[in-house]
Amino acid sequence: MKIKIIVFALIIGLVPFSSAFSQDKTIEGEVSLEAILVDVDGKEGGKAKFTEYRDLREDGGFYGRARLNLDTDKYFLNFNAGDFGYDTQYYKIHGGMWGKFKFDLFYNEVPHNIAFDARTPFMGAGSDTLTGTPNTNFPAWNTFDYSVERRQYGGGLKIDIIKPFFVDVSFHREEREGIKPTGAAQTSPGGVAFELPEPVDYVTNNLKVEAGYAKKPFFLSLGYIRSDFNNSNTSLNLPANFNAPNALSLPPDNTYQKGAFKGAVRLPFNSRFSTNIGFSKGESDTSIVSLISSGYRGKVDTQNYDISLTSNPVRFLDAKAYYKFYKRNNKSDDPLGVANAFLDYRIGTVGGDLGLKLPLNFYLSGGYKYIKTKRHKKGETDPVEILPFNTDNMYFGNLKWSGLEFLDVRVGYEKFDRDANYQTFESEANPAKRYYYAAQNKDTYKAIVDIFPLENLNFGLEYRYKQIDYSDTTFGLGKDKRQEIGTSADYIIGKIAKVYGYGDFGWIRFNQLQSSGAGLPWEADQRERSWGYGVGTEVYVIPKKLMLIFQHDYLKSNGYVDYTLNAGLFGAGGLPAFPAANNENIDIPRWDDYTLYCFKIKAVYNFTESLAASIGYAYERFRYSDAQLDGYNFAPLGPPNSNAASLTGAYKDQSYNANLVFGGVTYRF
Amino acid sequence: MLSRVLILLSIFLGLVLITQNSLRADSEFAGSEVCKDCHEAYYNKLMKSVHGKKAVPGNPENREGCESCHGPGAQHVEKGGGRGVAIFVFSRKESFTARDSKCLTCHEDMRGVVNWNLSMHKTAGISCDMCHSIHMAKEQKDLLKEREPTLCFSCHKNIRAQTNKQSHHPINEAFVGRQALKCSSCHNPMGTSNIKAMIRADSVNDLCYKCHAEKRGPYAFEHPPVPENCLHCHEIHGSNHSRLLTRKVPLLCQSCHNDGGHPGNPYTNLHSFPGPATSGKNRFFGRSCLNCHGNIHGSSLSEFFVR
Repeated sequence: MKIKIIVFALIIGLVPFSSAFSQDKTIEGEVSLEAILVDVDGKEGGKAKFTEYRDLREDGGFYGRARLNLDTDKYFLNFNAGDFGYDTQYYKIHGGMWGKFKFDLFYNEVPHNIAFDARTPFMGAGSDTLTGTPNTNFPAWNTFDYSVERRQYGGGLKIDIIKPFFVDVSFHREEREGIKPTGAAQTSPGGVAFELPEPVDYVTNNLKVEAGYAKKPFFLSLGYIRSDFNNSNTSLNLPANFNAPNALSLPPDNTYQKGAFKGAVRLPFNSRFSTNIGFSKGESDTSIVSLISSGYRGKVDTQNYDISLTSNPVRFLDAKAYYKFYKRNNKSDDPLGVANAFLDYRIGTVGGDLGLKLPLNFYLSGGYKYIKTKRHKKGETDPVEILPFNTDNMYFGNLKWSGLEFLDVRVGYEKFDRDANYQTFESEANPAKRYYYAAQNKDTYKAIVDIFPLENLNFGLEYRYKQIDYSDTTFGLGKDKRQEIGTSADYIIGKIAKVYGYGDFGWIRFNQLQSSGAGLPWEADQRERSWGYGVGTEVYVIPKKLMLIFQHDYLKSNGYVDYTLNAGLFGAGGLPAFPAANNENIDIPRWDDYTLYCFKIKAVYNFTESLAASIGYAYERFRYSDAQLDGYNFAPLGPPNSNAASLTGAYKDQSYNANLVFGGVTYRF
Repeated sequence: MLSRVLILLSIFLGLVLITQNSLRADSEFAGSEVCKDCHEAYYNKLMKSVHGKKAVPGNPENREGCESCHGPGAQHVEKGGGRGVAIFVFSRKESFTARDSKCLTCHEDMRGVVNWNLSMHKTAGISCDMCHSIHMAKEQKDLLKEREPTLCFSCHKNIRAQTNKQSHHPINEAFVGRQALKCSSCHNPMGTSNIKAMIRADSVNDLCYKCHAEKRGPYAFEHPPVPENCLHCHEIHGSNHSRLLTRKVPLLCQSCHNDGGHPGNPYTNLHSFPGPATSGKNRFFGRSCLNCHGNIHGSSLSEFFVR
């Protein structure tokens, strides 16, 4: 099927050019073949992590690549393809007639590997029905891979031949197939935790049409989007040991349609008025019988209106004023006898930005934004759960100085204040506030320096600090602080060498005070420190003949959670359920800790202008350690203990060492 | 009074005429062939690019060639050349608005550029030539100076750091000739009506649903933060935590769920696989809360997202 599509695409793509290339033409391109030997030392989780988004097969393989560019005064055609036969293969044809029309056809694959050789006591992993009886003899469990493959293909046509009118049409289809991890409680709610293989067999068809008029002073367009999502599996049927309903619902089929109008008109004083109006309609079509019989059908409408006015009346002033309104209206039929709530919300935003060129090469920009969010949970009867409205005020300012030929300096500040207007006494009095609705003060500072003393030497340094205080929150996320430093440099030494490097440091701290089920407080102080660097060089050892490439990257992250529990939570029967527990021995020292170390060395030799060969070696080492996954046990405590679980190995053992030796030839024409 | 006005008007008109004459004197075109004599490499690159195609109406080739963008060059030639000598060059000596205006003369009504006036890049004083190169583009499509994401990361260093983290979208995964995802897959650097983040959708969720259509629902049981904003829980450019989560589960879930019963309890190192605790373990190890609440984005069967 794949081959047929590709051949069809090629034929269609080449038809318009059958006579075109009788004129003066430029044809250039290249073909290459690279052999890669791969040796991965790691458990199955590590092998999956190593190939998370790539298809590098153990023991190696041959990877082909082709590029062809045809160019005439009137026509062009570009063909680009590679990784033939692998899960990362891609084919793209992009062509057209200059100034008249453009088209493209493509086929892409991309995998997402999560864990290989995962296990389940059940039979039927990857299908919509799991059977069997849970047990703790995990060495005998059935194995499967957590991996999802995306295949995307489609094409588009942009027509300009009827300028100033234009038409754009595109279609793309995505097929997604594989297994991803999910979970369900044996009883609902509560009971033994079961991690389960969820079948993924999705098809999404997307059509986009836009037609319009583009000629100064106007731009007008009408657009239509339709997206149909189809899931071959309605639900994951669970074995009999699960309480009713013994099925896990899977994403329902849905259809999304959107109509949009975009318009812009040029006004006097170098001003421009723009608008964007969109209406969408989403419908889901569940096949869950109990839901259908209760009268449910999912329907959501959204509306979006944007208007903006921008102006550059004089060269030193750039002004912008805008208003945006976005509304989500959940019009789903309320299922009878089911305690659910549908979310409606509307967000209104009004703001303005100003850019001002000042003397002495200063440039000042700033702005203000006011956002009002109203939410309504239809069907919510608990007054504590009634969602608040928010009023946000955001201000920002940036100052840039370009007074020296070799230096740019920028500083910036942003202030974000959120007020939460609770709609019931009970929700306002509730000390537990959900951070995305709660009042907050956010301050963000940044400073950036770019130095380029020579045309071939650049150096950049950036610092950011962000702090969020959830001022009205007693229980829940209270503070979020972050610092980030980033640097980069590159130096080109004539036509002989290029040297480059970067360094990043990030520090994140979250603080949350919680109330236990027993009503006693506890606090978690979560810290993450990440840093990394990369250096590389490209050196022409023999000018135009032999080039050496070296690249080294290093990345490390350490996380830590400092717990402080009320004394009442310790002791026999206390929450940690460990009599010797105290505030000194409960902290989590491994919190998504990882180190990535890799380097690559490669030599490229150009035999002629057309023929080149390369050879190289790469090494990758990834070490991952986390309190939730270290010492992994597929059946901890063992069913039927109420704290038991039956796990499959998702995200387990992600560490790996990999050695890659590669070499290939490239022919250019 | 009238005479004074007439005198002033005469002076003004005189100045205008003198200026116009001097401009005319300065405004002689040399022709692209003359430019080529000294700048052959630049000329050849231009002719090979889309700007060199006569078939495209309004292209430099159908106007004044090189001088369509650089302005009349006769004086530049007369003075013996030199960078910026009596000629417009896209360098820091010219204001970014002056540089932009050269490009916008032709591109202002192009579909992709029509919202440039709304772009945060414009507000921040970024000009077209900072990202695009007419003569020395490394990426012929859109004439970019560098390929994505390298180009974007040259300014957005914090985003580079995030995309390097262990959980990330496949932005840095440079397959041989293709990236699975580019910055421009989600953002339009030329501006969109979603002004600050310049995303290619009316809302964050509308953008995410383009690839994650299965999350679109609507679901019979909604988890309220989900249909409002994916960013409540996900750090979209990259995170230290799997599934691009802003914080690690269970603390992420507990940021909001402080209720009595198991959501409010602390799950510490003692609850890990090798830890000695005997209760509350299944809420900490493996995927923690998600071991049971597998349908956290929405469910057709369970208000607790366990079915």
